[in-house]
Amino acid sequence: MTTAQVTMTTAPETLTKAQKILQGIQEKFGVALISAENPRPDRLFLKVRREEIRPITDYVFNTLKGRMVMSIGTDKTPVDGHYEVSYLYALDAEGIALNLKELVPENDPVVPSVAGIVTYANWNEREVYDLLGVKAEGHPDPRRLVLADDWPDDVFPLRKSVPYNFKPPVRDVKPPMRELTEREKKSTIVNVGPFFPTLEEAASFRLFVEGERIIGADYRGFFAHRGIEKLTDNVLDYNQIPFMAERICGICGFVHSACYCMAVEHAAEAEVPPRAQYIRAVMMELERIHSHLLWLGLAAHYLGFDTVLMQSWRIREPIMWLVEAITGNRKTYGLNLPGGVRRDFTNEHCDKILEVIAKIEKEAGELVAAAAEDHTLKMRLVDVGRLTPEDARLLCCVGPTARASGVNIDARKDFPYCAFPDLKFKPAVQHTNDIWGRLLVRAEETFTSIDLVRQMLARLPEGEIMAPVGNIPPWREGVGVAEAPRGECVHYVETGHDNRPYRWRVRAATYPQLQAVPYMLEGMHVADFPIIVGSIDPCFSCTERLITVDRGNANKLRIYEKKDLLAMSRRRTQELR
Amino acid sequence: MRSVLVGIFNLLFALAAAPLLDGILRQVKARLHSRRGPSIFQTYLDLGKLMVKDDQAGANNTIFSLTPIVCFASVLLAALFIPMGGVVPLGFAGDTLVLMYILTMGPLCVCLGGMASGSPYAYVGVSREIMTLMVVEPVMVMSLIASAVKAHSLMLVDCIRQPLGAGPSLSFIICGVAFFLALQPEVAKVPFDQAEAEQEIMEGPLVEYSGRKLAMLKWSFYSKQIVLITLFTEWFLPWPALESLPLRMACTVLKVLVVAALVEVIAQVFPRLKINQSMRYFVSVNAFALSGLMLAVIGL
Amino acid sequence: MISKIKEALICLRAPRVTFRYPLEPMPAPARFRGRPTIDGAKCIGCGACAAVCPPRLIDIHGEGTTRTVELNFSRCTYCARCQEVCPVGAMQCTTDFETATNDRANYSVKVELAAVACQSCGTPFITQRMQQKLMAEFQPAWMQQRNELPEWLSLCQSCRVEKTGMTMGRNIKNG
Ligand code: SF4
Ligand code: SF4
Repeated sequence: MTTAQVTMTTAPETLTKAQKILQGIQEKFGVALISAENPRPDRLFLKVRREEIRPITDYVFNTLKGRMVMSIGTDKTPVDGHYEVSYLYALDAEGIALNLKELVPENDPVVPSVAGIVTYANWNEREVYDLLGVKAEGHPDPRRLVLADDWPDDVFPLRKSVPYNFKPPVRDVKPPMRELTEREKKSTIVNVGPFFPTLEEAASFRLFVEGERIIGADYRGFFAHRGIEKLTDNVLDYNQIPFMAERICGICGFVHSACYCMAVEHAAEAEVPPRAQYIRAVMMELERIHSHLLWLGLAAHYLGFDTVLMQSWRIREPIMWLVEAITGNRKTYGLNLPGGVRRDFTNEHCDKILEVIAKIEKEAGELVAAAAEDHTLKMRLVDVGRLTPEDARLLCCVGPTARASGVNIDARKDFPYCAFPDLKFKPAVQHTNDIWGRLLVRAEETFTSIDLVRQMLARLPEGEIMAPVGNIPPWREGVGVAEAPRGECVHYVETGHDNRPYRWRVRAATYPQLQAVPYMLEGMHVADFPIIVGSIDPCFSCTERLITVDRGNANKLRIYEKKDLLAMSRRRTQELR
Repeated sequence: MRSVLVGIFNLLFALAAAPLLDGILRQVKARLHSRRGPSIFQTYLDLGKLMVKDDQAGANNTIFSLTPIVCFASVLLAALFIPMGGVVPLGFAGDTLVLMYILTMGPLCVCLGGMASGSPYAYVGVSREIMTLMVVEPVMVMSLIASAVKAHSLMLVDCIRQPLGAGPSLSFIICGVAFFLALQPEVAKVPFDQAEAEQEIMEGPLVEYSGRKLAMLKWSFYSKQIVLITLFTEWFLPWPALESLPLRMACTVLKVLVVAALVEVIAQVFPRLKINQSMRYFVSVNAFALSGLMLAVIGL
Repeated sequence: MISKIKEALICLRAPRVTFRYPLEPMPAPARFRGRPTIDGAKCIGCGACAAVCPPRLIDIHGEGTTRTVELNFSRCTYCARCQEVCPVGAMQCTTDFETATNDRANYSVKVELAAVACQSCGTPFITQRMQQKLMAEFQPAWMQQRNELPEWLSLCQSCRVEKTGMTMGRNIKNG
């Protein structure tokens, strides 16, 4: 790892983009900057003094136009007596990932909150407190976010002193409510979830309703928080994590494992063979095609339009068969390992891919054309679930959700990875700010992906598909960025000893998007709720990350009998009345 | 004698054949979905399954438990009124009005039951159901009354015979179209099934029902579907005027199948509208039906 | 209206695509990663599979002179890593995906192998097959013909360490 030496004597034109940015920060905040690393041209890791984090955040967010990606809390107390709290930013225009790290002494676990500057930091800071116990001073809404309501108040699971299989006793604690406005207090509350037909996963929305109009909403989620990041403490090693990462999401798992592998490869400064890069990219694009078709079907289903659901899933199905034949499974491809991929494409596979995408292009083209003219569909989607470009930026939305609000970001363009530096394409952007725009963006992307797959297969490099990474030295950081179907997916890895990361952090696209949902709901009808939530293509399990079953404690599982469940649900209905 | 036989046939038709019609519609739907779909007898199995399932007693009050029975009974009663093959089993002066009342009873029962269940989803569903009733019932009433005006009688037999003799008039066609448009919400099919919208409010008024009560309600919905469609075909599509009654009845059954399939196809190519959108739509349908009625009054 | 007709036409043009699956078989493609099994005739008990399995479903334990390789695939991720690392091709992911069962025991595959004892302390430490495999791979041909076990293959790890230590100590003493 090289430390960037930026001196004033260097002529400005010879500086790389990252160095220029670093220079700007140095000039403005001189002493606040403790150290800076620039291991790759597109990565900038800074350590800053926590007292100065607010002005620096302001500068990065408002002047450099950075987009906050996630917070990363790491317990380094066994190493140097500090907690580390970082905010990772994406400077999309420059294509640089910028990390601001604060060192927090063990006996004073407090950082200044930046949620007043970047609205999106709200969840990030709550998550850091929940998991690591570092408090954000001045946070507007410091409720519990990630942990279960009955989790003890003084146990912070990501601290290294907490064993990964710690199980607190079950208690009866009510979920915390946010403060209500006067108007909301007078409104009817409609509870949606935790289990609801159109939310395929557990999530709970409280809608404040006047008649059929929604005037506000509150979200409580993370019911499926599964503590996957904790498993790197002493359970999983570098080569096992991809298979768990793949299971973070039920639809776009491949992008997670690829993203994790990229983070490790960056940290280890390992070269991945070009053929492997291309295979990864092809699989990611195939995944996008099937994911978008899946979304189209689901969106139609939320509107009670099951014919489109069935037809778009019928069109999608050949992709599932195709990837099953190539990788051995229709969804968990299991291809990625740090250093490359495990299975190669044969020539027959390439022909088959071309054949399948040609068929899909034709059929999806017809379906999308018919849907785009459908007047009744427009009635349900135009001007519904609006998200202004300003809100999209404050909430750091990504993917089709942001692009439909005119925010032109696409990790494939801004942070080109795998094969994407060699490819030509234009990100789909719409300026309608509503669900209709999101539909158009996804429709266009489906065809872009088909084109990208063709480009890649036409220039698929020959050669090895795996270059083992070998020993990975500790205390190196890597960030993997990839454009998942739902938006940018980011994995952060800090290497450690014993062949496993010291810290692994996952941020899926739904994390910022979900925070935008209450904004989209405002002023809409109750009937719009399913499609609005659906329009971000939510993946709650991505946001909440994987489950672990602890074999040792299996006998401690509480088993609810039918009559218990019934009694509980009756009690709940009584409460609702 | 004939009317007794037709009455028995109607009862059986509405009761026993209704799930079969639903099964056939499922096949229609499956075809549009490019699926194989379940066998046409699946609905019987589903109802049977619900019959033997435990009742989870979503709410414990009399109204809640009684409404399925009343709803079911009202539909069967309606079956005794509707004509079949041009014969009306229970004909008396003014039976048209009685039939309309009975037909409204079903949805009202569902509303009552939904209110009694106390679930917030049911409340939303009930309010939507009532809104729908308010705009859809007038359409049906006006379309039916138009024929009564032309026949100068409130007896069903006269009403349905009138166009046979005189041929279809302009008002008759307009009212027929209006009635057909009202069928969709009446049989609770997309795009006008907001009251039961599974994706939004989990079947609204039905959310707390289970077991035998749910089976009863569902069965009465299927029966109502067949009753209403039969009424439509008898009233607005009485041709061809065949001589023998069994042939006419067979013809009606066939027409019911075709109309039901059409209703299902429409349901499959539309997304569900929002309640305010469908209200707006039905206001224009009302105006349309009203124009039909006016034309009938001035004799067109 | 036209778009509605178009939609209906799309539907009608496509054939019914669903399968009668449980009623008719659905073979999986050749590369499919299905239920893992161990070929007891081939397995040498090396433990490579146990080391890579992400959900740690493979356990190697021993009692007396047997070593048991036990695979319980109820939580299998079907990653086929075990198949990839097995040096003798004993571990195979089949194309079978119908694993539902009423008996958990059906999720378990056991291979029992004979272990050989350490020539010094007498504790069984390695499977016979493993020993033979190591012989075949790492011993020069003439030694194999003599069918003689080299010392490093006949001692358990701790005895080996001790022995090496002693040899080294002697060597140091002797200069
Ligand atoms: S396939 Fe993967 S998860 Fe299953 S036993 Fe083999 S290594 Fe373990
Ligand atoms: S199955 Fe293969 S890898 Fe596993 S112990 Fe046996 S020989 Fe070794």
